[in-house]
Amino acid sequence: MIIIRDISHTYPGTRKQPVRTAIASLSFQVGRGEFCILSGPNGSGKSTLFRILCGLTIPSTGSVTIGGLDLARESHAVRRILGVVFQNPAVDKHLSVGENLAIHADLYGHRGADLAQRLEEALSWSELKHRMGDRVDTLSGGLARQLELAKSLLTRPKVLLLDEPTTGLDPASRRNFLEVLRRVQRERNMTVLMTTHIFSEAEDADHVAIMKGGHLLAFDTPQRLRARVGNEVVVIVPTDAVSLAGRLVTDLNLAPLRFGDELRLDVAAAADSLPLLETVLARYRPEIRSIAIKQPALEDVFIQITSAAHAAGVQESHRIPPASEKEIVQ
Amino acid sequence: MMRAVMALAWREFTRFIRQPHRVIGSVGQPVLFWLFLGFGFSGSFRPAGMEGVTYLEFFYPGVLLMMLLFASIFSSITIIEDRDQGFLQGVLVAPVPRIAIVLGKVLGGTAVSMVQSLLFLLLAPILGLPLSPLGAVLVVLILSLSAVGFTSLGFLLAWSMRSTAGFHAIMMIFLMPMWMLSGALFPINHVPGWMHAVMEVNPATHALRLLRLPFYAKPADVLVSSEFLVSLAVVLIWVAVCLYLSMVRVQRRERGVPTP
Repeated sequence: MIIIRDISHTYPGTRKQPVRTAIASLSFQVGRGEFCILSGPNGSGKSTLFRILCGLTIPSTGSVTIGGLDLARESHAVRRILGVVFQNPAVDKHLSVGENLAIHADLYGHRGADLAQRLEEALSWSELKHRMGDRVDTLSGGLARQLELAKSLLTRPKVLLLDEPTTGLDPASRRNFLEVLRRVQRERNMTVLMTTHIFSEAEDADHVAIMKGGHLLAFDTPQRLRARVGNEVVVIVPTDAVSLAGRLVTDLNLAPLRFGDELRLDVAAAADSLPLLETVLARYRPEIRSIAIKQPALEDVFIQITSAAHAAGVQESHRIPPASEKEIVQ
Repeated sequence: MMRAVMALAWREFTRFIRQPHRVIGSVGQPVLFWLFLGFGFSGSFRPAGMEGVTYLEFFYPGVLLMMLLFASIFSSITIIEDRDQGFLQGVLVAPVPRIAIVLGKVLGGTAVSMVQSLLFLLLAPILGLPLSPLGAVLVVLILSLSAVGFTSLGFLLAWSMRSTAGFHAIMMIFLMPMWMLSGALFPINHVPGWMHAVMEVNPATHALRLLRLPFYAKPADVLVSSEFLVSLAVVLIWVAVCLYLSMVRVQRRERGVPTP
């Protein structure tokens, strides 16, 4: 549904900024009805790619096809089947919810009974129905996001692009937003491409694209990406990390990695994790505050892939994220 | 396309009405200018050949023009805000011709300035400025045309700007002087030669000239006077050029340069 072919984009230099290449030879495809997450550190080129996909920026080279239409030559036709949710609200906060939806309908040429039905459908899942007369600046952050989504769904897009749509939302509103998005996406067999920094949002995606420094580092299903990191990890929080790390090396011939107060042991096969945990626990129980087996999360995959690229010279660094524990023995 | 234009123009207008501060500011400021400068200069304003014209009366069409200028500035600032706050992004990805964006903005801005100037126009009879019904229609038409000129000029200037602060600077050194040198504040025929030349090429001077005529002559005579026709031609060219350049400007999309 979305075919990105060998896209490169270089920003022209200005007096203050030199010429800068934001995307280099990027290609991937998103199939019809797929939910695809686009991710990457800040400055990875995903915003540039997003602008290109929206048709706001014309890339230096390469082509994009959306729904079989060429974005450069048939941009008007592409816009008819495209819905976009921007990171910044694209509504007028001085107008009411209903007025904003009406303007949006006018821009897309919907009216009459058809519009009424579309409105009903676009609002059916939301809590906006009783707020139609309220000005947008009186809505909570979560409701304002619902309006953005409802507005985009009004036109029944075949392809929906979202740019970090959950930024600034509290966890409950974020979960609600994503549940609705995923449900509507499945019901309508809509193709969705969403950029995000939050990896829990990507866990049930069909595909995850990871970009860095303008390159596509990975494009795969979450399952296969996790398998790429492969191993489970035993995470130990000891009373004295340095001393225990030393003994794990000498006593058990292991290779612990230390992150602050925490030691991590990579386990080659999943079946080995529990025996290893038991061995460590039996031997050093008094020195251990907690121990857990952690399955690789997409976040770990992201860190590993982007830092591997870093080692290979693709730029930028990362902080260690907090681990998400599967089981904890106190 | 027309629905999109009307929706955008309606939004522009409604937004203005919903912000009482803007209404008060944009109507109140020209009125205060007019009252203070009008009464202030009335005692000393004695230009040759204009006996019997008070400064309050002389300045009146200039204030009408000022209202158009201010309304255009305010609606141009909203372009920058829209870009910042995102409303514009939503419009740019919608299947509407880019030209609709210009027309929506210009029509909306024009509607806003017309409401203000029509209110102000109600004061004309009180001033003792005779205006026949036909003359009033003529004045309204001239005002609308000039409003389109100012709004599309504002659009053209604001479209590439990224900050409202930058636009304020442009406004102070470009748009305000355009009004100051239009003959709104002082008669054009008592100024140094160089300034006279600048004023003659300033389209705002011609807009003001068009605006003054119906107050002092019969509409039928105005329409055939060469002064009116020349100024009308200048204003029409100004409006056409600004609209055209605005349309060219919005069509242009951000484009990558060849990768080295």
